Amino acid sequence: MKGFFRFLYELIGTPQPPSETPVYREVIFPNVGLLTIGLSLAMVLIFYYLINKAMGVATFNKVRHWVIFLIINALLAFIIGIWQTSSQEVASHSYVYWMSTWNAILGLFWFFLFSVLLKRGSTNASTTPF
Amino acid sequence: MHLTSSFRLLPAVALGLLLTGCYSRDDIKGQAGTETPAEVPPTEVPGAVAPKETAAPAVAADAGAAGPLQAINVFLEVSGSMEGFMPKTGGSGSNTRFQQHVAQFLSEVNRSSAARKTFFRIKEKPYRDSYQQLSQTVRGGIQQPASSTDIPTVLDTLVSGYYAPNTVNVLISDFIYSPKNAGAIPYISTDITDALNRAQRPDLAVSVYGYASDFRGAYYPALKTAVRKINSCCDTDIPYYFWVIGPADAVRRFDAALLEKQPAQQVHFGVKYPVPASSLLSRFQNVGSWYYGEKDASKRAAGASYHTVAVSSVSAKGPVEFVVGLDLKTLPGLYRDVKYLKPNLQLQAQDTDAKIIDVFAANDQTKNSSGAENQYTHFVKVRVTKLGKAARPLQLVLKNQRPAWISQWTTKNDSNINQAGAKTFALSSLLDGVEAVTATDQEKAPVFTIPLTLQPAD
Repeated sequence: MKGFFRFLYELIGTPQPPSETPVYREVIFPNVGLLTIGLSLAMVLIFYYLINKAMGVATFNKVRHWVIFLIINALLAFIIGIWQTSSQEVASHSYVYWMSTWNAILGLFWFFLFSVLLKRGSTNASTTPF
Repeated sequence: MHLTSSFRLLPAVALGLLLTGCYSRDDIKGQAGTETPAEVPPTEVPGAVAPKETAAPAVAADAGAAGPLQAINVFLEVSGSMEGFMPKTGGSGSNTRFQQHVAQFLSEVNRSSAARKTFFRIKEKPYRDSYQQLSQTVRGGIQQPASSTDIPTVLDTLVSGYYAPNTVNVLISDFIYSPKNAGAIPYISTDITDALNRAQRPDLAVSVYGYASDFRGAYYPALKTAVRKINSCCDTDIPYYFWVIGPADAVRRFDAALLEKQPAQQVHFGVKYPVPASSLLSRFQNVGSWYYGEKDASKRAAGASYHTVAVSSVSAKGPVEFVVGLDLKTLPGLYRDVKYLKPNLQLQAQDTDAKIIDVFAANDQTKNSSGAENQYTHFVKVRVTKLGKAARPLQLVLKNQRPAWISQWTTKNDSNINQAGAKTFALSSLLDGVEAVTATDQEKAPVFTIPLTLQPAD
């Protein structure tokens, strides 16, 4: 699994500065990756199953509502990147922001993926976003 | 409002975050804790000092069964040739540097923690003195000087009669060895070797500390071809030496406890030192793409040390530079001297052009740094521009080379000592003799070897 996250996060290049490579590969990538997948899954479950099923809210199922969740998800994913790197006390480098931005993009992807997979189970939003 | 309902859901989002699996350094530390039992006994106060003590177990392991220093025997040569160092107190009330230094040294020995301290005058054989008597001899001059003392005989006596575990014998003398006739001069080193070897001590070690003092009295040159005696000598300083003779471990402890505080010339034979604490430093003057290659490097535990360099890319234009921190405070001053370290620290490597480009001592900046470099007294910077296809060992070796001062303090002819300067007759031959006894192999054992690994990044 570490190998998978390493592959995923090194698509944008190896960690910088190079001396921080072990902590990125062994700790930060798996942490950030799992947290972001968990976040996206939670957001999808909330949108489709809590709001649009259990709570029965009938006015929050349009694409624009879905996009609101998508954006919030990306922002939180960015924050996860910043938070994990700072808690591991890596040497400061602009790479931290590149990595966090990439994580926000991955957050968009995970949210979309889970949406497609899980939307059918929702009562009010089974056709959102399409 | 639509949004309010979604904001109410934020606690649920937070819960989702908490439930997801999460690697943290604390978790990993916990795992590490189970693998490696704590080195520090629970009675000790844990804290910032704990990591620095990691070197201590290594010392204990190296010392084996040897305990703390138990006995110190101090032998002061009181032949006529030593009178100039200890002139009878004159009206001026001024003393020689020898008197000042040796009196202070005797006092330090007397105050030291060793269980038994014994003081001897060396004439034709050792005579036991009290501390007060010997100190008085140093201060007030020699009462009944011995006609002459023969250095091989004295060494033989010390090694045969006074050699014991955890005991050191300190011989204070000018070490002017005058053979019976000129024909014996080429055999000085052999005489010393034979004398030290007669008792067959396997762990014999000798530390030699050289000092120089003003000298007021008759000087007896070793080479008596020109004159037998130079009266009212000397305009130049005359060297004198402390030879610390004993089992290797005891000599090392004694040196560290009593002889390392003051500046002196020094050389060590047969003394073995624990491998000093060392680590690569990935955040100190590092250049290029490399990182710690250890599997557990991400834990970054306090006090952890690293010895594997994983290089992700390197070329002639983009070299890799890494710094190895060394904690040399357990070594004697000779091996802490950057002037000694620079020519004698060497890298042994394969398939790479790794070479040492700088050796430097800690300064205020490194000592006060918050990084790992604050634990180390010396730094070795290595540059690499090419490396092998797989992991290769890289050894940092400190060679045991005879320091330059020995040849500078040696003279072949001391019959006109004022012209020769502060030199000792055939000093290097004496030390050749010592070296022949203590060296076990043909090749001199290095002072220490630190194994590193240089590998391409995976």
